[in-house]
Amino acid sequence: MMQLARLLIFGFLFLSLVYVVVSLWSRSVRAAKLRSEWIGSGQPGDKESFVQGGLKEYDGSIRRKLILLVYIVPVAIVGTIIYMTNFM
Amino acid sequence: MVYVKWVFLGTFWVLVAAFFHYTLPQHDIARITDTYEKRVDFGENSLFWSSPDIGNATTVANRDVFFIQSFRGNGKPMIYRNEDTGWGWPPYFKFDTSNLQAEAADLISKKSAVNAQWVVVRHYGWRNEFMSIYPNAISVWAVDNPDVRIIPWMNIIILTIFAALVWGITVRWKRFRRNRVDPFVDEYTDGWG
Repeated sequence: MMQLARLLIFGFLFLSLVYVVVSLWSRSVRAAKLRSEWIGSGQPGDKESFVQGGLKEYDGSIRRKLILLVYIVPVAIVGTIIYMTNFM
Repeated sequence: MVYVKWVFLGTFWVLVAAFFHYTLPQHDIARITDTYEKRVDFGENSLFWSSPDIGNATTVANRDVFFIQSFRGNGKPMIYRNEDTGWGWPPYFKFDTSNLQAEAADLISKKSAVNAQWVVVRHYGWRNEFMSIYPNAISVWAVDNPDVRIIPWMNIIILTIFAALVWGITVRWKRFRRNRVDPFVDEYTDGWG
């Protein structure tokens, strides 16, 4: 039981770290894209509000929710390995 | 100084290679001749033993371990231990030790047998006679002849991902050095000849 608890706790901490880093990185990539888009489309209105609006759209997007796969994929892999090792 | 760098890098990569060689699954073609259990008192080699059956006490100084005795296709003996890896390292998540022992015992085939029963043993770890360490068997299955070809898909995938990771980090490190470190060093060592 101790082994399982250790795996779950440290696994969760590690994956959370990955999740935070990927989230911040993805958001910064999106902001950079929005800035170049603003220049590309003839600089419509204020730059900051253009970028903020784009990021607000990103916050509700499916792309951002896909980062949750950081948790789902490793759990699925572990489940597959358990099945393959013990029940096949 | 250039030797220090190469010795350091060489040692590092030898350790990485040894780590993968120990941890990744390998397949042996063998003929199982016996299965038994033996009490083991863990000593200097305790690092090379896995955990007790899942659910049992984990702090004992010694315990009985299942072994699978076999002869490989090349006629040389190979002894496997058969232990749970549980939830720990390496991540095989093996809990079916007793089932595996039953399967192995069912496939016993001695030299005197009319038709030898060959099996594939998937295992990780090393056999070392000087430290009494044994590879841990993960699964066994019967094959018709000892010449079957086994493609190690898992190893191919894992090593490819690892190589991609190393390559990605190396490229970024070199870029970082070229853009940030080298100009900085140049600035302060300007005119040092």
